[in-house]
Amino acid sequence: MHVVSVPAYLDDRTLDQLAAQLPPWPPEGRVLVDAHATEWSSPAGFTALLTLGQALAELGAPTPRLTLPGADGVASYWAKAGFLQHADTLFELHGKVPRRRADDASETLLDVTPIRESKDVHEVVGRINERSTQILKRELDLEASVVGGFGQSLSETCQNITEHAGTGGWVAVHVYNFRRRLGRKAVVIAVSDAGIGFRRSLEATQAKRFGERWGDGLAIETALIHNISRFRDPGRGQGLAGTKRYLARWQGKISIRSGTARVCIPPAWDDEPPMTEGLAWFPGSQVTIVIPAREVAG
Amino acid sequence: MSAVIRLERLLHETVATPYSDLVTRPTGAAVRQRVLEALQEASGEEAHLDFSAVGLVDFSCADEVVAKLLNQLAQLPIVQLRLRGLREDHAEAIEHALLCHGLAVVALLADSPRPRLLGLVPDDWRDAFAVLADMGRAPATPVAEALAWPLARALQALDELAERRCVLAHPDATFELGAVA
Repeated sequence: MHVVSVPAYLDDRTLDQLAAQLPPWPPEGRVLVDAHATEWSSPAGFTALLTLGQALAELGAPTPRLTLPGADGVASYWAKAGFLQHADTLFELHGKVPRRRADDASETLLDVTPIRESKDVHEVVGRINERSTQILKRELDLEASVVGGFGQSLSETCQNITEHAGTGGWVAVHVYNFRRRLGRKAVVIAVSDAGIGFRRSLEATQAKRFGERWGDGLAIETALIHNISRFRDPGRGQGLAGTKRYLARWQGKISIRSGTARVCIPPAWDDEPPMTEGLAWFPGSQVTIVIPAREVAG
Repeated sequence: MSAVIRLERLLHETVATPYSDLVTRPTGAAVRQRVLEALQEASGEEAHLDFSAVGLVDFSCADEVVAKLLNQLAQLPIVQLRLRGLREDHAEAIEHALLCHGLAVVALLADSPRPRLLGLVPDDWRDAFAVLADMGRAPATPVAEALAWPLARALQALDELAERRCVLAHPDATFELGAVA
């Protein structure tokens, strides 16, 4: 049994610590994902954990175990966020599994939701639009016009799965307080898939240009910074481009991790380097978008 | 004669969804196919794509429905293609798609009576278009005078707008916007 400890606070950055503990891939034995000491997870953490379970299932590996958080209220929150109902299909859950109660928490704009095909994107966008306008206006003081761009970004990020991953994935959207990094609330869209990753998706059309330099970092940069997709159609790759334009206007952030690299477009409030290479490998691709609340003047 | 194509209707005829959002490439491609069929029936007319009951439009769907349709405009039997009933976020997604293809289209936003050019629009086109919108049907000379341009410059801008079917060019050397409401 190979034990992987989940960090106390799991988000798109601390996912690196979890990835560093993964066994050589494909794993030979059973994997135990130990979240007993975990106190909090961002939507990026939820979708990444499900991606790990999905990747193991698609390998035909033995069903991994997941030890649930022991702290009061944490596992309940994981249930409310819709994580546990999906984790139950991919992991053997250990610990007290809370019953899921109706979620009236304002921080959850979209429960953890599977994305497999185009109709799932319609469902996600349709569902979130019904609630999101009010919540984004109330919690983040964003104007109604910002909400349209939010839905477009959500749709395009989810389509990254259906168009490029070659398998399914997960999306979740929460509002929470970015106290340390930002000093105010933000809405976070997390999308993760267990698919082929950016490097393999772009390899056939782009690798030759870069020769030996070709790798995960350059592949993500090609897609995110240069708006290039594996399709030659000039309209392709524009979903991410439109999302970037929207985020730039609202001081938002996009970060993509795939394989062993992470590339982001950091706004002024964030200190993450634009490219981080040599990370521990993690399956598929993870996209995180952060849209901050309007800054209060004065 | 004007043909109004209500996009939310075509969406619901094409995709089994309770929502009215134009999202995803497969949806956009399927809706475009239905729009093309509708435009074939509108032969010789001015056609309006009506977005007024559409929810969200994402960048990919804007590319599939509007940009790729405009790329086929020369093969279509219609006089003009206009967009109407757009929200600001619809216009932004469509403009983004048109910029990638170097295209332009006339649009009427839901909250403004003034027609607007979306896409890759040089300043001269925008200026000539605005003047013509105020004048109604006019030859190039008063447009040039209103802008204090040489006639050739106004004529070039109007001809290029007409080439993209953003304005109508008449045999008597006058131009007009055509139906935009």
